Amino acid sequence: MEIKINHLTKTFPGNIKKNIPDTTAVNDLNILVEDGTLVGLLGPSGCGKSTTLYMIAGLKAPTEGEIWFGDEDVTHLAAEKRGIGLVFQNYALYPHMTVYDNVKFPLTNLNVIATKKASKILACKKIAELIEYHLDEINKIAEESIYDGKISKSAFARGMVAKYHVVTSIAEKIFHYGFFKLKGEELEQAKLAALSDLNASIEKQTQKYLDKGLTLNDDYEVLENGMPIEEKRRLTKDEIDALVQETARLVQISQYLERKPAELSGGQQQRVAIARALVRKPKVLLLDEPLSNLDARLRIQTREEIRRIQRETGITTVFVTHDQEEAMSISDKIVVMKDGVKMQEDAPQEVYRNPNCLFVAKFLGTPPINVFEGELKGGSLYIGEEKILTDKVFKSEGDKKVYVGIRPEGFILDETKEAKKVLTLNVEAIQTMGRDMSIVASNPHFLGESIKGIIDSEINVPLGDNKVGIRPSKIFVFDGETEKSFYLTEAK
Amino acid sequence: MESKNNWKAWLYLAPVIILMAVFTFYPIINTFFISFLKNYDSLTGANKGFTFDNYIDILTPFGKNQTYYNEFMLTALPNTLLLTFVTVPISIILSLIIAIGLNSIKVFKKVFQTIFFMPYVTNAIAIGMVFAVIFDTQYGVFNAIFGVKGFPWIYPNPSAAAGTGLVNYWSAFFAICFYIVWHSLPYKILIFLGGLQNIDQQYYDAAKIDGSNKIKTSLKITVPLLSPQILYIMITSFIGAFKEYNSVIGLFDPKTGGQFDKSTGMENMTTVVYFIYKRMGESKPTLGYACSGAVVLFIIIMIFTAIQFKVSKKRVHY
Repeated sequence: MEIKINHLTKTFPGNIKKNIPDTTAVNDLNILVEDGTLVGLLGPSGCGKSTTLYMIAGLKAPTEGEIWFGDEDVTHLAAEKRGIGLVFQNYALYPHMTVYDNVKFPLTNLNVIATKKASKILACKKIAELIEYHLDEINKIAEESIYDGKISKSAFARGMVAKYHVVTSIAEKIFHYGFFKLKGEELEQAKLAALSDLNASIEKQTQKYLDKGLTLNDDYEVLENGMPIEEKRRLTKDEIDALVQETARLVQISQYLERKPAELSGGQQQRVAIARALVRKPKVLLLDEPLSNLDARLRIQTREEIRRIQRETGITTVFVTHDQEEAMSISDKIVVMKDGVKMQEDAPQEVYRNPNCLFVAKFLGTPPINVFEGELKGGSLYIGEEKILTDKVFKSEGDKKVYVGIRPEGFILDETKEAKKVLTLNVEAIQTMGRDMSIVASNPHFLGESIKGIIDSEINVPLGDNKVGIRPSKIFVFDGETEKSFYLTEAK
Repeated sequence: MESKNNWKAWLYLAPVIILMAVFTFYPIINTFFISFLKNYDSLTGANKGFTFDNYIDILTPFGKNQTYYNEFMLTALPNTLLLTFVTVPISIILSLIIAIGLNSIKVFKKVFQTIFFMPYVTNAIAIGMVFAVIFDTQYGVFNAIFGVKGFPWIYPNPSAAAGTGLVNYWSAFFAICFYIVWHSLPYKILIFLGGLQNIDQQYYDAAKIDGSNKIKTSLKITVPLLSPQILYIMITSFIGAFKEYNSVIGLFDPKTGGQFDKSTGMENMTTVVYFIYKRMGESKPTLGYACSGAVVLFIIIMIFTAIQFKVSKKRVHY
């Protein structure tokens, strides 16, 4: 499902009496989220990215603008009718419900239009199939489910559900046959008896339908005059169970279903929240700062997980984050926002390679970009007295003050490399970080604390003044007033 | 180190402990003690020694004095239990509904909160007198609304012939329940509102996204999340209802606790605490009966509270 946001604006009213002006959280925002892609809304706190997400979700009403899901205008549609899944920043798992009930909750509110199926016959068929071909494995599962010297029904059911992907009620029915108590000849007889019982009940059920003038097709749909009967109804317990189990397997929380959210770790809670959002099979998945409550290691793991789930389900996903690394690593496209305004919208690498303004350049990349005060004079770019570059673009721009941004990996200190040494840096410290080496340096025209550079660790750099070269693809020039970039990579 | 500083802790606690000892612990123990003394005189402390008669007389029909059995076991205790089990659930459910309603409206919220809180700051006896007027036989508001003349809600019809126009027990019971529920709502609403405001908005947002309607959200999300407050209110209101007394003397004749048609139920609306107070005002040395009644009430309350705690372990989510 494609999401289109047209001229979206959200204004929070101020208070005239107290001289509090209106706050515009989102200002004339246009975003296109293509079907099946993962888009990250990126920006510092207070930039309106969460507000945007909640407007897509339908929890906040936009002041102006439209939101389209595919061909449908959902701007004024209630949240529950939009068919979205939302993962809250603090997960908002219902603390009094088990994980199972949490995941189940959205399904209990669902009305579906579905064909009527002979569910009892289907259940009998499934049980018969399992007993006939998998009895040894089933008994093995029973053996593994012994707790306190007794075979636990719920543990057995869990085992069955995990192995054969059946619904819990079928697993429990098989448990009640009690095959695990029997051995050898007895077991064989019990198996045959059970099978003939099941067949008898299948026949009985079929006859019941026939008596009512209904027939069944190969999928065991109930047919009336040769047409499947469609009915509007709530999901049955078994259908809910099947969906919950399926989603639990997808996000790998099957073993925690009977616990309460408080008994889970942050990462597990996160998965439960995703499961709850996905269980209704929504067209759109929205995640509000999904990783901000996790520790560093779990964060990397979970973001891969989110990417995997998104790929597996092919669901259109929008997520909000203030962490640029997070956004860069898993998004198909990122939207960088500042003060409610979209600054740039592109593929992560493209935004990094070609920031269109100083803000985006500063926001992306660790360590952050180094910004110098510069000047255009006669078609050349100067930092202080040092001439850095000459380009015909600069000539057309005329003489003016500019900001010069150089990525940390853009400095060349290598003696052997044929690069023009153009900029003097006073190297103050060198930190070796394994493969790379980080230098800390200063320059009188640098804006900020200290210049950070990343260079190959095999290079020897003396402390003190060094003349360095600069990779053209890693240098950006921004207008001194508008802060817009005018020296793009394509031009280099 | 610990034991060295212990005396300091005791010193800080001393004022409370001394006050509690004098006004709480000693009276409790003394009450138990007196409940086993025959003909205890509250002024002189004179008595005729140890006995079980106080309990036998009020709890069983086998005592020497049938009147106390009639008053306690056949009237006060059934009245109290009936009042408790009717008013507590009704007032809790009502106040929960009102609190959830108040919490979800935006305009006039403060105004309504104030209106609903009014009964709490009004004197119970004064309210009782107002209710007595509302339910008055000749001039009452209730009779005027329903257009019936001279229906004896709580007082017999003075203009009726002797022996007729008596008060039906259940009409009096309805009136007092109406009064108790109305009077007990504000405190409960206040506590529930406090609890509701502590529930994170995110749960409601999540429920909305999950497609749950308002009623289902209230039942499945709000009420469980409010369960600590509900337990607190349940325990305190059960205890409060078992001690019901003010409403009886507010609404009915303070001397008799009402006078009803015996064939329709209990003959008056005396409660256990009413029974206790009545004994204390008597010139005969009957304080022993008051004490045994108090001990019985204490045990009943203790059992009920224990049951509630036990049940709540499964149902309350902190």
